[in-house]
Amino acid sequence: MDIIRYRNDVWGEEVILGVSWDLLWVIAITAFLLLAAHAIFMAALAKKKAMPSAAGKRVHRHDAIDRAFHWIMAGSVLILIFTGIAPIIGIRFSWLNIHWIAGLVLSFVCIFHTIRALFWQDFKSMLMGPSDFKEPFDESIKPGKYSFEQKGMHWAMTVLVVAVIATGITLLLHIDTPWWDRPSVDDEGTLGIWFLLHGTATLGLIAFTAIHIYFALRPEKRFYTRSMVKGWISEDEFKENHDTNKWKQD
Amino acid sequence: MSSHDVMPEMSLYQPVRVEDAIGIANQFADRGWLVGGGQDTYGWLKDRAKSADALIDLKGIESMRGVKETADGIEIGALVTLTEITKDPIIAQRYPLLAQAAGRVASPQIRNVGTIAGNVSQDVRCWYYRRGLNCYRAGGNLCYADTPEGMNREHAIFNASRCVAVTPSDTGPALVALEAQMVINNASGQRVVSAEEFFVGPNLDIQNTTVLRPGDILTAVRIPSKWANAQFYFEKVADRNAWDFALVSLSAVMRVNNGVIEDSRIVAGAVQATPRRLTEVEQAVRGKARNDSTADSIGDLASRTANPLNYNHFKMPLMDNLVKRALRGQA
Repeated sequence: MDIIRYRNDVWGEEVILGVSWDLLWVIAITAFLLLAAHAIFMAALAKKKAMPSAAGKRVHRHDAIDRAFHWIMAGSVLILIFTGIAPIIGIRFSWLNIHWIAGLVLSFVCIFHTIRALFWQDFKSMLMGPSDFKEPFDESIKPGKYSFEQKGMHWAMTVLVVAVIATGITLLLHIDTPWWDRPSVDDEGTLGIWFLLHGTATLGLIAFTAIHIYFALRPEKRFYTRSMVKGWISEDEFKENHDTNKWKQD
Repeated sequence: MSSHDVMPEMSLYQPVRVEDAIGIANQFADRGWLVGGGQDTYGWLKDRAKSADALIDLKGIESMRGVKETADGIEIGALVTLTEITKDPIIAQRYPLLAQAAGRVASPQIRNVGTIAGNVSQDVRCWYYRRGLNCYRAGGNLCYADTPEGMNREHAIFNASRCVAVTPSDTGPALVALEAQMVINNASGQRVVSAEEFFVGPNLDIQNTTVLRPGDILTAVRIPSKWANAQFYFEKVADRNAWDFALVSLSAVMRVNNGVIEDSRIVAGAVQATPRRLTEVEQAVRGKARNDSTADSIGDLASRTANPLNYNHFKMPLMDNLVKRALRGQA
């Protein structure tokens, strides 16, 4: 199994072509096995707790605009993954334009989210401090608005999405679009490194997207998914899973 | 790239039955190379730009030879040579479009050994790709032809998607115009695809020009009787009149009644990676007289959405003029 693909450039020198797509199967199988193991562990061994009621007073968690951002971002990431991977696994369709248009949508939505998070939201609630790392090991510690896992997922996705956007835009500059024609490539090795980084970030994004979807569908976490659709969690869910002193209502 | 006088070392299989050929093709998958006339194959192999573990020579399969009449038209064996197509009395009488197209392929020597299956299945002729450079079509990250300095006079003016090479086939556009069906056999059985769907562009599959996959064998081409004895027009423009690929070619079939075009299929070659049906032109000429006036009013539709490269803008008026000549009914 290869990690990196190599080719000869126009001068006959060996240069990097990109990440080896053998790793796609490694990522897919590893993610599947880990998530299946987690599901089995949770079903068989984890302590069963009564789920808090969704009825009663509601606690606001996400504004409509933030929910819209999340779902547009989710849709564009899924489209990007599908259009990027499908041709590699033999599903043939006209993918390129869909891919870069979805990439531009993701870029604009991320810029919007960054500005909004910095100036109009409680940015500190997403920051991770030393105390957050105690949370998974001590059941008595409850999080504020976002748990340790949620913050970790957010920052992992941030790094990966920024990486795919930065490398993707660089690659976009090398193809024909309605706004510019493809330029000459002076150094195929450098282009190959961009492809390598784009591919590597994509593999990470696939793994974390799978993990994110898995936890979004788990019964004990499903109220968070509901809050990303409807904007609220119940007061019972709030008290059961969060420290009411740490989560400042907006 | 070094050029060699001798073939690289590889196994040679010479099956005499389609079933055996399919078995061998299946066994070697993408390391097996089907060969009929070999006019595309030997260049690749002798230049060492592509390689195979096994050469599967189909020429001994008698069932893939000959032109047969069927209940709805004719069936041309995949190994029928281009010369045989030009001389076949049924094709000459009912489908002279195909005979003319086959007669303009390359040179008499090449037509004597080149087959109909090879002509439609041959790889693109972009010289960067043929030289063995690792362009998009060869699995790489870029196109050498579509750059500010790239030599792209012969390349695509429509539907380029990373790769800008064009179909080199002269018979392909004629078969699309005639609504031909391609008979493909493999280990799973037989499937029949229309000529229009047989060719694939780089937007769908950048490394293949047809739907054929390892293990597939194109065994026959069927032409339905729908367009038999219709009015035909074929013209190929190339830098040389012999042994050259088209800069633009045009294949047209028309059903004309009392001078009025009732139905038509007009297909251009060498303007994109697949034969290009000019559906806008076909719709525009329906119900119109086949004359100068129609030609002048509609001819420019053909190239309207073209997106030429640096050195092939000339293909746009060339294509329009071929359409006009087809609509006038004169070469």
